[in-house]
Amino acid sequence: MRGRFAGLLPWSLFFAVFGLVPLLAALILSFYSMNPLRPDLTHWVGGANYARALGSPAFWHALRTTAIFVVGTLPVTLVLAYVVAALLSRLRRGEAFFRAAIFFPATLSMVVISLVFKSLYAEQGLLNGWLKGLGFPAVHWLQDPRLALPSIMAMDVWASVGYYAILILAGRKTLPVEQLEAARLEGMRALAIERRIILPHVKPVILFVVLLNTVRSFQIFIEVFVLTRGGPLESTLTLVYHLYERAFYHFEMGYACALAYLLLLLVGVILLLQRRLIARAPVEVPAEMPLAPAVPRGTGRGAA
Amino acid sequence: MSRAAAALSVVALISLAPLLYMARVSLGVGNALPVAPADWWSGGFTLEHYRALGTSGGMGRFALNSLLVTGIAVPIQILLSAAAGHALARGRFAAKGVYLALATAFLILPRQVTLVPLYLLFSRLGLLDTYAGLILPHLADPFGVLFMAHYYQTLSPELEEAARTDGWSPAAIFWRIVLPLSGPGLAVVGVNGFLITWNAFLHPLVLTTSESMRTLPVGLALFAQSEHSVDWGALLAGSTIATAPVLIAFALFQRQIVEGLLQGSGR
Repeated sequence: MRGRFAGLLPWSLFFAVFGLVPLLAALILSFYSMNPLRPDLTHWVGGANYARALGSPAFWHALRTTAIFVVGTLPVTLVLAYVVAALLSRLRRGEAFFRAAIFFPATLSMVVISLVFKSLYAEQGLLNGWLKGLGFPAVHWLQDPRLALPSIMAMDVWASVGYYAILILAGRKTLPVEQLEAARLEGMRALAIERRIILPHVKPVILFVVLLNTVRSFQIFIEVFVLTRGGPLESTLTLVYHLYERAFYHFEMGYACALAYLLLLLVGVILLLQRRLIARAPVEVPAEMPLAPAVPRGTGRGAA
Repeated sequence: MSRAAAALSVVALISLAPLLYMARVSLGVGNALPVAPADWWSGGFTLEHYRALGTSGGMGRFALNSLLVTGIAVPIQILLSAAAGHALARGRFAAKGVYLALATAFLILPRQVTLVPLYLLFSRLGLLDTYAGLILPHLADPFGVLFMAHYYQTLSPELEEAARTDGWSPAAIFWRIVLPLSGPGLAVVGVNGFLITWNAFLHPLVLTTSESMRTLPVGLALFAQSEHSVDWGALLAGSTIATAPVLIAFALFQRQIVEGLLQGSGR
């Protein structure tokens, strides 16, 4: 019997050394002041790093940026994804083609997406070219502190609608065809079927999308790194970018770990919230998605 | 064409147009960004940006690094996931629940938490700026293990039990019975592992210090912040190179990518 567990060993080793140990080490480090250039000065500071974060305008600013990001992108992304999923489910032919075309951006590197949008947003880029054609002056999409964050948000909507549309479509497909047929035979209109049968059915998936999107928004990094580096005037400073700067420009490793654990805590609270919401949802989570609703892994498209 | 198909054509165009634009600029002459529709066809086509990237800019090296890291990490990930997933699915042991809970928790939590400790650990071990340092963090990924554990639960153990009563060793059962039956599951693990590894950014950014060790996404992002920041032809040629393998994987394994996504691989 022992031999059957041998298979667990190799992965457990990697998981422990490169997963669990760093996870715990980050917690311990968050109570230290630590600069890798002067390891001799490392010392215990208790909760000082956390106190500093909670008292720092940059931390609250980063949270605010995240909140704006979520509030601005989530409703748009969700409505668009829902509509796209509904349209896909109505197709009689060509579903595979459209599904592929709409889903493909979700598999791309966020660096690539960001560079493409950087060219679209450029001074001499496509968007400004169109504006000029319509007689408007050029807009500094990424250099104007009022526009930089919305520009990144628009890109995020473009990049994630397909992903969420496919999730919602999968949720729709778990609805028994007979139920839809019966509703149609009873003379229900398409809109009523959508609202009274399909929408309640996919509600758990929608909640999942809401939480996934929120959790991912907390981890936005690549977009900011490539497009704005947190600027202009820190208008796009996100939590993870702040953490990155603290750790690798200022070498405040302990403080960065405290920021990481605050991020963890925030994401944890959101997930608990999700659990309560899903528990309150009237329908079961679709059987096709055994892991998904419990497992929103928001790596922000390859952030890990 | 139905109304839904017409509307979806517009959506599909919006979702693909930026990528066609990327390819067009990468094949353009000079660094001008085409603006008017007429610029798309006129303006000429050339491979000069790809040639320039090959000779300078280090993009060839970045691509090679990405290929090496992905080519080594993903097969190992596949084997680790199969072995551990199988043990979890078939084993009856007390710690099993703990295992599953830990792996699931790790799937959910923001990976950035491990960034600083991994950096410090790797600098202590001399693994910064090495291929090992780029590969090892990917081997801890729990998605494949959870996915394969789930997969094996749906696979009947009868054949394995028959082989065991015939006196086969666990290793022989794994290699000669379990693994050959694991193709569909491992395809999901493999292609999702490929996408995550190929597109990985934050850890490779932090765990490399010299230009020659950068992976394609890291090299591209830093190239865009050098004096080449408006070198659109080169930037988008590099982006196209980074996209090509993803496109191929997508064309071959779209079903598996979607399945992984539905099961929470989430990128």
